[in-house]
Amino acid sequence: MSAEQIHSGLFALFAIIACGAAIAVVMSQNIVRMAFWLVMSLGATAGLFFLLDADFVGATQLLVYVGGTVVLLIFGVMLTASGPYIRIRMSPAEGVLAGGIGILFLAMVYSTVGAVNWENVSSAASPSGLGAGVSEGFNASSQGNTTRPLGLAFIGLRPDRDLGADIHSPLSTGYLLPFEIVSVHLLVVLIGAAYLARAKRRSDTVEE
Amino acid sequence: MPTESIGNELALLLGIAWLLPLAGFAVEIFGGFLWPRVSRTAAYIAVACIGIGFLCSFTALMKWGNATDWVVLKGTDSHHASAGEHGGEGHGDEGHGDEGHAEEAAHAEHAEGEESESGVHHDAVATTFSGTMYSLGTFGGLEVTLDWYIDSLTLLMFTMVTLIATCIHVFAIGYMSDELTEDHVDHEVHTADGGHFHRPGRFYKFFSYMSLFCFSMLGLVLAGNIFQVFVFWELVGICSYLLIGFYVERKSASTAANKAFIVNRVGDWGFIIGLMILWTYCGTFRFVGEESTDGHAAKPGLFEMVRGNDGQIDVNEEEDVVYLRDAHGHRLEDPETHEPKTIPYALLIVAGLGVFGGCIGKSAQFPLQTWLPDAMEGPTPVSALVHSATMVAAGVYLAGRFYPVFTPEVLLTIAYIGCITLFLAATIAVVATDIKRVLAYSTISQLGYMMLGIGLGGWAAGLFHLVTHAFFKSLMFLASGSVIVGCHHEQEMPRMGGLRRKMPITAYTMLIGVIAIAGLAIPGTVIAFSGYHSKDAIVATALAHTNLNPGHFLLFIVPLVTAGITAFYMFRLWFYTFAGEPRDQELYDHVHESPWVMTGPLLVLSVFAAGCAIGGEQGFLYSMLSHSEPAGVATGVEAAAVSLPGHDLIHDVHHEAGVMALFAAVSGAIIAYLLYGAHVLNPADIQRHFTGLYTFLVEKWRFDDLYDAMFVRPSRVVAGWCAATDRVVFDGILHGACRAAINISKWDRLFDEGIVDGLVNLVGNVVFGIGRSLRVVQTGRLRQYIMFIAVGVLTLFVLLFAFFPKY
Amino acid sequence: MEVGLNHYLFVGAVMFVTGVICMASKRNGIGVLMGVELVLNGANVNFVAFARYTALGLDGHVIAMFVIVLAAAEAAVALAIALNFYNNHLTIDVDRGDELRG
Repeated sequence: MSAEQIHSGLFALFAIIACGAAIAVVMSQNIVRMAFWLVMSLGATAGLFFLLDADFVGATQLLVYVGGTVVLLIFGVMLTASGPYIRIRMSPAEGVLAGGIGILFLAMVYSTVGAVNWENVSSAASPSGLGAGVSEGFNASSQGNTTRPLGLAFIGLRPDRDLGADIHSPLSTGYLLPFEIVSVHLLVVLIGAAYLARAKRRSDTVEE
Repeated sequence: MPTESIGNELALLLGIAWLLPLAGFAVEIFGGFLWPRVSRTAAYIAVACIGIGFLCSFTALMKWGNATDWVVLKGTDSHHASAGEHGGEGHGDEGHGDEGHAEEAAHAEHAEGEESESGVHHDAVATTFSGTMYSLGTFGGLEVTLDWYIDSLTLLMFTMVTLIATCIHVFAIGYMSDELTEDHVDHEVHTADGGHFHRPGRFYKFFSYMSLFCFSMLGLVLAGNIFQVFVFWELVGICSYLLIGFYVERKSASTAANKAFIVNRVGDWGFIIGLMILWTYCGTFRFVGEESTDGHAAKPGLFEMVRGNDGQIDVNEEEDVVYLRDAHGHRLEDPETHEPKTIPYALLIVAGLGVFGGCIGKSAQFPLQTWLPDAMEGPTPVSALVHSATMVAAGVYLAGRFYPVFTPEVLLTIAYIGCITLFLAATIAVVATDIKRVLAYSTISQLGYMMLGIGLGGWAAGLFHLVTHAFFKSLMFLASGSVIVGCHHEQEMPRMGGLRRKMPITAYTMLIGVIAIAGLAIPGTVIAFSGYHSKDAIVATALAHTNLNPGHFLLFIVPLVTAGITAFYMFRLWFYTFAGEPRDQELYDHVHESPWVMTGPLLVLSVFAAGCAIGGEQGFLYSMLSHSEPAGVATGVEAAAVSLPGHDLIHDVHHEAGVMALFAAVSGAIIAYLLYGAHVLNPADIQRHFTGLYTFLVEKWRFDDLYDAMFVRPSRVVAGWCAATDRVVFDGILHGACRAAINISKWDRLFDEGIVDGLVNLVGNVVFGIGRSLRVVQTGRLRQYIMFIAVGVLTLFVLLFAFFPKY
Repeated sequence: MEVGLNHYLFVGAVMFVTGVICMASKRNGIGVLMGVELVLNGANVNFVAFARYTALGLDGHVIAMFVIVLAAAEAAVALAIALNFYNNHLTIDVDRGDELRG
């Protein structure tokens, strides 16, 4: 079995799991099962990331999403559910309507995406003066894993762009400033979340 | 130059005395913001201002005396001697015809020269000072300036006015104390619901008006030109209006204030005509000319123009044109044409009559006397101030000050007006029962005396009486105010009686005033009250005048008789009020003596009322006054029509006149005692016998009815016509215009409502309908919204692919 | 069969549409949140696929990282909102919160 075939097989596996689990999330009426299928779907997506040579993103997906966000959601389920097997059903007519609209939406999206010739678009979108290899995309497997380039990109060095570029062209900018902004944003959001979650109880104590 | 410096010093002192009350007014008028209503601060400020003014005036008087080395008092003897010596000749020359007349005139001129040499130039001391404080502006040939003119009359008036005003201010602190409250109840004003009118007290306002009044009067006295006099004249009028109408809520008070103001306007109309004539022909308003540096008057004043330097009017042969002269007697010439400057004699008479018309209004003389009794509606201190020192005195003062401009015809008119007034008012006073009204009519009567004195050539006598009268009349008014307060605002004398036991100070100070005005004295001794001296001087002038002009005998008989009537009604007042048994026991029981703040001024004033004229014609006051006499008065005037007596003639008949006046006064007093003191005769019986006369007098000679018929009703008829015209013509036009406007508006309204509003409402309704239909979509359900988004995106893309397939 | 860009894009589209349908049909508030996560994940697959197959390069990775992190933050806030909703309505059924009905 060639690497090509292994890649295809793994892709088929992960794609089926991710799509099937996502559809199962929609179909399931039990919130805990929904959470389980969501974990499956997100995990399979992480697998797809690995297949795409995005090992750091995939790892983050596993750690943050599967490990953090889903746990958070399950906590939410436990905090809000009156019982462990709570079911809030939707009517079948709604289900049929939602399914119909979903299929139409999918057809629309895929026909749109599939109508584009991505080879042309990417070469048209790439900055001028780049080498031909760059227009092929950033192939991380040929440059080791992505952790080091990502770290360099965060501090302002872009090995995928600036290596081999014309010496007179301006340097690309890094991601340090957006990263800092996002980190502060996260802090604010988390404090806000904590405040929102506690607000009710606090007002009660004040009233007492 | 020392005389200039002393003049400036005097002007400064009197200026301070003049302006301080204005400063006081400016502060006091804001008393409502500055102090609580119960504060007396305003009164203290007012008293301080006028009191300091008195000190300044008195200092100025002393300074003037020292600067002139009291030439006034020393000069009296020489003055009299020379006048007497000379007058003897004049007396002898009487009736010598035209030749003698000319000689007499020449002689008089000569004597005047001597006189001025011995009196003023010999001592090299000026006694009259004038100057300009501030020039307001020049309008063509007219220069409007603030001048001052100071002679002994000005100084005496200043001292008198400030002294009396100080006393009245102090008195008013007590009298007006019932205004010291947030909630003053006016018992004479009834509201619609039957209660009494309530208002905040106006204590501070009263004193601010009083301060303004004093400022106006002092400005009038200090004024150095006739225009300035007119300005302060009107200010005095305004203040009297404000103060007479002080209880403005009372109908009678506001009517009286209006009456005083309007009647005064009638007189001021004449005043303005006089001013216009004088300015047209003389081109100046100043009393005396401005001394330029080279010694002669560059711009002669009114007095010099009319009277020259010898006190005579320079008339041409036809007696229809008067030559205007400068201070040295030279005829003035027009600088371009070298025509002599003249004024038609008739116009000079009209000017004099016009200015005197102003005096008639202000001093309540014969045709315009009706406002003064009504002015009793003001608070009593106001009456005292109006009647003694300020308002009515202004008229007499102006008549005296303007004496040089009056021709003999005008002087005769003044004399007759005064004569009519004094008799008329005295007769009304006999039957009046309101204590203040008796005093009011007596004031009119005494003002008549003053005018008579001035008109007859007794210049100093008239002003002498002005000063003495000011003292005893203010005394009597304040005493009556004390009585009114003591009797809880009862003013009718028939309800009083026997008050001397309850309020002795008021009663006996009042008695001093009564004796003073009646003119009683002990013959042959120096004991004589002030009124005796001054009235005596006027009666003596009248007698001398009658000796010269037998045709005008009424001018002597009437004042003499009226002297008796004066004594009668004044003693009637005193006996009615203070002597005998109480007529109203309830009122009597509540009577109390006034506090010291009110009796104190009474005591001070009573001293002056009794003694201010001490020494008579040799005394300080008369000497001071006669020193300011216009040139030519002392020697008298000989003329075919009316001759004016000189000092010597008056002096000759002085004792005779004095005895006659004293006899009349004593008999009047005795009759009053018999009727009201001893009850020998019952006044009611006499009243019954002369019912017609009594009613006639009670109705004040029907003057109010007469004026009502003559002026008020015709003007009402005219007003009725005007109103009818208004109703028919102007209202018609207006109503037509209004109707047209209404019709146009109706169409406009239809347009507005139908089309404009319709359009606006249509837009609004359509938007509202759309919104209402869209409301159904807003279900508030999260899931539906998401579905809408999905469907929306789908639809958009379908449309995009359907219509723009290439992109 | 060689796996290309379009295959990945199809997977992303399926996850995206599933997430939208999940948001639109689930009455449970937590279910709606799960739908949101699915939508974000579908988009993430696209980004990473573009990074691999086009000139997007590392940018796609970085954007995917940001999306993951922001999704975590969003989940925390949304959960707090859900808790408040639960406190106010004593249920997590989003159909009960129709206060915004016109």
